[in-house]
Amino acid sequence: MAGNTVSEIVKIKRKIYIELAKQVLNNEIENKISKIPFKIAKEDGERYRCCVHKERAIIEERIKLVLGFDPKLHKNEKPVDLLKKRGQEDCCDNIVNVIELACDSCPIDKYTVTDSCRNCVAHKCVNTCPVDAIVTIQNKAFIDQKKCIECGKCREVCPYGAIHENIRPCVRACSVDALTSNSERKAKIDYEKCVDCGSCIRACPFGAISDSTEIVNVCRTIQKGKRNITALLAPSFVGQFGAKVKPEILKSALKEIGFDEVIEVGLGADLVAVEESQELKEKIMEDDFLLSSCCPSFKKTVQKHFEELKPKISKTVSPMVKIAEKVKEDTGNKTVFIGPCISKKAESCKYDSVDHVLTFEELMCIMVAAEMNLASYEKKEGIKDSSSHGRQFAFSGGLSKVMEDLTEKEIKTVKGNGLDECQKLLNEIMTGETEIDFMEGMACQGGCAGGPANLNKSKVTKKLVELFSNQAEYKRADQNEYTA
Amino acid sequence: MKKLTVEVCIGTPCYLMGARELIDDMTELQNEYEDKIKFKTLHCIEERCENAPIVKIDGEIYEEMTPDKLREIILERI
Ligand code: FES
Repeated sequence: MAGNTVSEIVKIKRKIYIELAKQVLNNEIENKISKIPFKIAKEDGERYRCCVHKERAIIEERIKLVLGFDPKLHKNEKPVDLLKKRGQEDCCDNIVNVIELACDSCPIDKYTVTDSCRNCVAHKCVNTCPVDAIVTIQNKAFIDQKKCIECGKCREVCPYGAIHENIRPCVRACSVDALTSNSERKAKIDYEKCVDCGSCIRACPFGAISDSTEIVNVCRTIQKGKRNITALLAPSFVGQFGAKVKPEILKSALKEIGFDEVIEVGLGADLVAVEESQELKEKIMEDDFLLSSCCPSFKKTVQKHFEELKPKISKTVSPMVKIAEKVKEDTGNKTVFIGPCISKKAESCKYDSVDHVLTFEELMCIMVAAEMNLASYEKKEGIKDSSSHGRQFAFSGGLSKVMEDLTEKEIKTVKGNGLDECQKLLNEIMTGETEIDFMEGMACQGGCAGGPANLNKSKVTKKLVELFSNQAEYKRADQNEYTA
Repeated sequence: MKKLTVEVCIGTPCYLMGARELIDDMTELQNEYEDKIKFKTLHCIEERCENAPIVKIDGEIYEEMTPDKLREIILERI
């Protein structure tokens, strides 16, 4: 998972991104958008679906989503029609969407009996089943799927572990039980529960769940003559674009393709660290505790699934919002956040200061479309906005360490690394089993370095970020000239 | 014996289409067959970027490479 392997599905998605970006940059999207499915799914190419027509139809659905429209609601429209609608109609509210045409309706007979069944004398399964759904036929237990209520008791009692639980990959990946299926057994997201973490996107082997993007918007903006755009680079950016692509190279390459300024979100993290540590000190004085607010999926998990703890979430905005506000105030520029995160796309909708959000993956596709080859690009520009502290926000444990440093107190911190651990800790905090001063919650394993739109392995990213963090001019967030 | 020269493109288009995984694999293979393989990286191979990722093996160009294919070709050749 952490490797974010480049599967065939990922490749198709990236090819679509590149084509769309190219067409916008060359000013020909209106005329050529309908050609994309034919270019990517070739008659004589490799086949993943029943036929080339289905493959092309799916690509069309993906394009709709890239343009920001929910394919479910725009089944009968072509991408070219939707292109005209952009701006007039609100694009999809939800970032994570199911592409029904691509969903395989995975088999969902939840419990099945495997060949390990010994037809034992005890028949514990038959005896425990509350609805008599199990019979033995030809020396083997058999589950009548029409009767089965999916309680799982048979699986628990079978001494041979012969009963297999079938869970769809998307359902298994979702830590907040937001995935179900509709009457056609297509995956369905319950948006009341969904926290935009993006786990299901990575998990589906058919690429049937995907996120909407702002590639077209951003390309239109950078293509215009007078642009005034600032790129906000999330702390985990180091090493994402190739081992040899140093931060200084990336910065000047971004300017080359059309951004005017490039700034580290780490500086926003510095500002947040100073403010949030102050908030924490006050909380401790009141004998209260604080939950971190920088990860939007963690924040949503608390808001949607642990309502009682909502007031405990830090009131400080996230580093992305903080830095965007600063850029707006200082320059009035348009802001484009670039990070490993899908959830930030949803978060940005709530703040006027953040104009667009891109993932590292999407940015790299734009680079390819702009014919920017980072491997042979040599121009460099120094990048030193953030202190060591701000840069450490990129990985699990970084934030809580910064809080310990800045409060200069012995504080009781816990860190939730990944949504499962976060929820376990939140439960313990609710029951009083765990007492804390501060909880750092990160929805992704490894923190942002393990985010769904990373291009590098989480462990490698962490190492590179640590190195970069050690090179910072200031060690502490409160030494940074903007916060001091 | 002459070593097999494997050159993997790490240009941006190739990186985006999976060159990093090819490199991880090559590093492993090279450790295993140190005396048989010479492994290098390139920044672009004859502008074949459209069909990324590109690998050159003893001068011969392969398009749309995957880690499995690469391993197979190399093990066959050494
Ligand atoms: S970048 Fe790899 S072939 Fe051009």
